[in-house]
Amino acid sequence: MYLGLVSLRDLVLVRLGVAINLVLGQVVAALLLPVYLDSLGTILVAALVGPRAAIAAGLTSQVLAAVLSGNFSWLPFGIVQVVIAVYAAGAARVGVFKRLRTALPAGLLLGLLAGGTAAPIAYFMFGGATAGGVTAVTTALRAIGTPLPVAVAIASMGTDLLDKTIAFGLVCLILRNVPSHLAARFPVLAR
Amino acid sequence: MIGFRTGRSPLHAAHPYTPLAIATALLCLVFAAQTPAAIGIFVLAGIVLAIAGSSLGYVAKPALMLAIPTLVLLFILHGLLGPEPRHALGPLHVSDSGLTEAIVLGGRITAILFAFLTVLATVSPDRLVEAMTERRVSFGATYLLVSTLTLVPRMRRRAAQILEAQQCRGLRLGGSPLARIMALGPLVLPLVLGALAEVDEQVLALDTRGVTSGRVRTAMDPPPDSAAQWAIRWICVCLVVGAWAERVRPLLMLIHPHLYVACR
Amino acid sequence: MPVSALVGMEALSFRYAGSTTYALSDVTLSVERGEVVLVAGRPGSGTSTLLLVAGAYAPRLVGGAIEGGLSISASRPSIVFATPWTQLTGLCRTVFAEVAFGPASHALPRERIRALVGLQLERLGVAHLSTRDPATLSGGELQRVIVAAALALEPDLLLLDDPAAELDPAAADALYGLLKETAAEGVGVLVATPDVERGARVASRAIVLEAGRVIHDGEPAGALA
Repeated sequence: MYLGLVSLRDLVLVRLGVAINLVLGQVVAALLLPVYLDSLGTILVAALVGPRAAIAAGLTSQVLAAVLSGNFSWLPFGIVQVVIAVYAAGAARVGVFKRLRTALPAGLLLGLLAGGTAAPIAYFMFGGATAGGVTAVTTALRAIGTPLPVAVAIASMGTDLLDKTIAFGLVCLILRNVPSHLAARFPVLAR
Repeated sequence: MIGFRTGRSPLHAAHPYTPLAIATALLCLVFAAQTPAAIGIFVLAGIVLAIAGSSLGYVAKPALMLAIPTLVLLFILHGLLGPEPRHALGPLHVSDSGLTEAIVLGGRITAILFAFLTVLATVSPDRLVEAMTERRVSFGATYLLVSTLTLVPRMRRRAAQILEAQQCRGLRLGGSPLARIMALGPLVLPLVLGALAEVDEQVLALDTRGVTSGRVRTAMDPPPDSAAQWAIRWICVCLVVGAWAERVRPLLMLIHPHLYVACR
Repeated sequence: MPVSALVGMEALSFRYAGSTTYALSDVTLSVERGEVVLVAGRPGSGTSTLLLVAGAYAPRLVGGAIEGGLSISASRPSIVFATPWTQLTGLCRTVFAEVAFGPASHALPRERIRALVGLQLERLGVAHLSTRDPATLSGGELQRVIVAAALALEPDLLLLDDPAAELDPAAADALYGLLKETAAEGVGVLVATPDVERGARVASRAIVLEAGRVIHDGEPAGALA
């Protein structure tokens, strides 16, 4: 047992999920898309292994993202990763990732949940000032008279809606393309 | 960003858990602080930690580079766009309470950055692994926190190779937002599927190296610890508990008056 | 099958999870202490699978199902693959620590670990790299470090899947020579490689697989045909 995970393979998958979370930002930046995809690894681990492994992936990603960027003030947003992990595991269990037409709306819903979780953290702990792009949107909304809590919520959810929808879509495609000899070892990929 | 830098400061020589405990305590304490004066003390504490690590110059630049944009945004969000009453600050009209809020929030972020960047600069990853091994921290925790950082550069290189290869095959990175979203598939799928295919070999390698042996790993070079450092770490815990106990007490009154009275 | 065999297979078949075809079919063989057994065959013929089954890694870690008889008396198998970078623990910032990782995981005393590691680094010709970060090594250097790490575990059964893939000819010759020495110390060595000529020079026996079936088990010259 490792950290309560069942097997060594689960542990290695969690590590892979964390690495995916940390690396995809580079791919996204090349495409100039207003998303981060920094929880795609968490969602993938949730689908392949389960919620505990995904929580481990999410929290570890948050810590290591802080180590790599130097911005340790983002550590409290680890709570959002926990919400993502639990939701994605539940979504996988009910078969959401079997089709894009179920994965995409489920991702949209997660965007609302994740943004809704991040907003109070951003508001109460950081006064609305966190990541550059999101804070710029918050500031712009404030400047036109939007109350601060509402501005923070809108800014947080806005990016998360697109981010999580795309992430769920990509995980659906990844799971569909896993080779059969690997897929046979994951219950969620039973074909 | 920044990484470990060899040195001879007290923090370099300390058991890795000690600077980590101090930085973590500071992270917890800054959120309990509510006034500019209290926050100022913690910012100073972060700076003193950096001095103790002989890393002030090394740490200050990235800390300020990360903090200043946030401080500016906080000033705008709370200082300029905050509620009445306001007073004039040069050509600007600044909200009194908003400015206080901006100082507290900005100070929080600054203190956290100084503290943790100092830890990054003074705690050697090797010594941290040895300390965790000696203290019998589970292999899983050590593996996830440390080993992932060696996988990341390799995956980044592979991502760059895939990007180049797909562009040679005609993938366009520009165009409409929808076109750019569609381009994610050919870039992300090969990266993730390729990494998934390597999982078995990593599992086999770790198994061969005995991580499933069930035995307590020998720490080859555990960092020395001392009673004084144990005391410092416990003082950090007590400070955090004490600071938050003060803040939590009024909440207990809301939950149950007897709880509040019992805690007085 | 000899009682002293480290590994014994009797009409063994193996299928990976989700596959309808057998990766190994009706395999009967044994591996003794002190042997260097060359395993040859085209890609997809089951050479890697044979190593995984012989070391009790399959189906335990990679899934699948075994039919037929398998007995493994080897208590300390150790396996090396062709791609060294996937075999790093990622926890060690020096070559010395990387090689020491295995013995340390088995809770050996520090001095014994230091002696073992020093010895294997010398044998593989990488002692001068002991303070280097493994992530900065070339493929060939890293592969020799991985082999050193496998040998530092003092295995009784050593399994190698194309171990010289990253090595230049001189280093490959040295590695295969070392495998012969290791076998002489009482270790059973099973090496799968497309470099049949080099393997045949040091092997005491060769097994050739085709579509998962053994088509030759005997003289190394048989693998060259």
